[in-house]
Amino acid sequence: MIELGALALRLALVAAVYAVLAAVAGARLRRTDVVASSRAAAYAVNGLVVVATAVLLRALLQHDFSLEYVAAYSSSTLPTQYVAAALWGGQQGSLLFWTLLLTTMSTLVHLQNRDRNQALMPYVTTTLMTTAIFFLALTVFVTDPFERLPVPAREGADLNPLLQNYWMMIHPPSLYLGYVGCSVPFAFGMAALVTGRLGDVWIRTTRRWTLFAWFFLTIGNLLGARWAYEVLGWGGYWAWDPVENAAFMPWLACTAFLHSVMIQEKRNMLKMWNMVLVLLTFTLTIFGTFLTRSGVVSSVHSFTQSGLGPFFIGFLAVVIAVSVALLYLRRPLLRSENEIDSFLSREGAFLFNNLLLVGIAFATFWGTVFPVISEAVRGIKITVGPPFFNKVNTPLGLALLFMIGVGPVIAWRRSTARNLRRNFTIPVVAGVLTGVALLGTGLVGNYYAIVCFSLAAFVIATIVLEFYRGTRARQALMGEPPATALVHLVNKNRRRYGGYIIHVGVVLAFVGIAASAAFRVEEQRTMRAGDTVEVGGFALTYKGMRQADNPHVASMLAEIEVARGGRVIATMFPEKRFYKRQQQPTTEVAMRTTWREDLYLVLGSYDQESGLMTLQAFINPLVIWIWIGGIVMVLGTVVSVLPTAAEQRALAAALAVEERGLAVWSE
Amino acid sequence: MYRNRRFIAGALIIVVAVGYLIYTGVRETSVYYLTIDEFLSRREAVAGEGVRVAGRVAADSMQWNASTLDLKFRLANFAGSGGVDVTYNGVLPDMFAEGRDVIVEGTYAHDGVFRARTLMTSCPSKYEAEVPKT
Repeated sequence: MIELGALALRLALVAAVYAVLAAVAGARLRRTDVVASSRAAAYAVNGLVVVATAVLLRALLQHDFSLEYVAAYSSSTLPTQYVAAALWGGQQGSLLFWTLLLTTMSTLVHLQNRDRNQALMPYVTTTLMTTAIFFLALTVFVTDPFERLPVPAREGADLNPLLQNYWMMIHPPSLYLGYVGCSVPFAFGMAALVTGRLGDVWIRTTRRWTLFAWFFLTIGNLLGARWAYEVLGWGGYWAWDPVENAAFMPWLACTAFLHSVMIQEKRNMLKMWNMVLVLLTFTLTIFGTFLTRSGVVSSVHSFTQSGLGPFFIGFLAVVIAVSVALLYLRRPLLRSENEIDSFLSREGAFLFNNLLLVGIAFATFWGTVFPVISEAVRGIKITVGPPFFNKVNTPLGLALLFMIGVGPVIAWRRSTARNLRRNFTIPVVAGVLTGVALLGTGLVGNYYAIVCFSLAAFVIATIVLEFYRGTRARQALMGEPPATALVHLVNKNRRRYGGYIIHVGVVLAFVGIAASAAFRVEEQRTMRAGDTVEVGGFALTYKGMRQADNPHVASMLAEIEVARGGRVIATMFPEKRFYKRQQQPTTEVAMRTTWREDLYLVLGSYDQESGLMTLQAFINPLVIWIWIGGIVMVLGTVVSVLPTAAEQRALAAALAVEERGLAVWSE
Repeated sequence: MYRNRRFIAGALIIVVAVGYLIYTGVRETSVYYLTIDEFLSRREAVAGEGVRVAGRVAADSMQWNASTLDLKFRLANFAGSGGVDVTYNGVLPDMFAEGRDVIVEGTYAHDGVFRARTLMTSCPSKYEAEVPKT
């Protein structure tokens, strides 16, 4: 069976190479049959990778410890769902999993465009399959998931306990879907560059793919944060760790791209910039994988110091060199047909939003690779930590929050004073009042947080106003009752109103992040059974230690009685676990979440002899709103991704224009 | 062209702002990241400055007081020789133990003691288990 998996990977590599050659040859020679064969080869690659993945999964589920991968990342006592998750728990498996997602998306793209985009598709195939070749070559020649142990192990070493968590089961696949999804718009962008068909067809064709990728990147980032919050037990959810940054940077670039393509669709501008952004997004996804896989930057998550680094750098160099060369060759065609008329216009606002997003991405990139750069330049390693990222990104993030309010409602081309008054008077008043009210309640001390809350009120007011005015207009025009008018309003322009809903989610997340960063309370106390500690209005009483044991894990749970205002409201059990297979202790946080705050308890240490227990207690205000914001973003994306009739017509019209020029060679 | 130039000026403001933030951010928050050997050879030069040092917890050097949360250990190089005394107050990370690779961040004083503010356990093999060779 194992040989079948290894063989499938090798065949997939051959088929991918064929797909690339046939696609290019077919396009050059204008031979549809050759192009069709490249498409068939791309399907075959997908099928073979599915086989290889199935073989690995089967080996995992059957505990075939003769396989190095299975022995290294699972064990016979590991719960089944984590055995399956071990498929992406280790390096070889995660690369294979990446390849699986990439080739599956390639299949979907090919099916979707069977009869469309005939000029672009061969180069889309080329780009996707070249990426597949890279990953396949890694799994075949460098880090083989089907490597056998010289002597089969009797038992596996188990999956890292930190990964034995349900967030960790869904976080990597989600992030990978996001990463891999970015390669579709990139592939179309490259195809547009090669063929010189630089209109908005490639953008309209891939809009949904971009949203899909963005959607999963967003979820992936949030799930990662959630995982860190629940599992790492240091009281926070984001530490600006290189691995976190690796997922954050493509998200920023992808967000910028999603916004700037609207300017190209509406005003035929920023073509060059859009190409740069799609290239940036794709390279950042590869760079992100490189960061997590190469060990070049030391990280708390530090996966492994494998020899993969040079391969990734090589691939990145090729991607960047080819793309930049194409951009250079095509620059006459990428020139804008329009100019930005005024700062006070939607184009201007979007451009600034883009610059801010890219600015944040750059600052994050710089901070992440700074140790490497400083070592290369000055011969000494200098690092920057979370203070750097917070210091740089907080003001940029706040400016971005402001632009979220401005961008969607400011007029195209040029705003008149009247337009500005009409759209911004109420929101500005709302923002200022919020700020004044907060200062009045004595929340002084953290001005960034207050600015953030004021801006949040400003943005929410612009959005509410948009919904309100749109609904009123429909009520007046169509004579519909308010609720119907609202539903129809959103339905008629899902993309726009879905976008607004996403923005509401982003604002909620901003509020949660600002509140929990600025007003967090932290207390650490060593206690004996019976002791009580007061933290931010809670009285925490340590009642005693409980123990539990099973063949997989042994655990100790501190019983903590939580009281507020003299009334017992909960009993919580922060826990220390000991994973026997890996001989590793882990911390299991106990959490009590409300709309207002999370009470977050960590069993810091326990000394058996003296009976002393150290409790760490955190009160993190409004954290739940980050996750709620995430859910709102998900809903908004779903709304905006559903196609509307008008949009279908726009795509069909754009395609019709394209295909007319192609009638010749589809003969 | 006039309009475009104005726009480039606007964009430049953002670029300069980002650059300025990065520059001051690096200046104010960066710390040296040294291996224990590098640190030992220049410890007097970095005394009093924030520095991050990677090394290994020397065998039989760990003293841990569970009631005061005071920790003392010797940070040695990977061969287990040389080293500097480190003090730390706080909860121990899960992975902390003698023989483990750790990163300490704090300041070294001329009295020969490194006062760590943070203690990180960085095991390059953290997510990569050793395969039991049976």
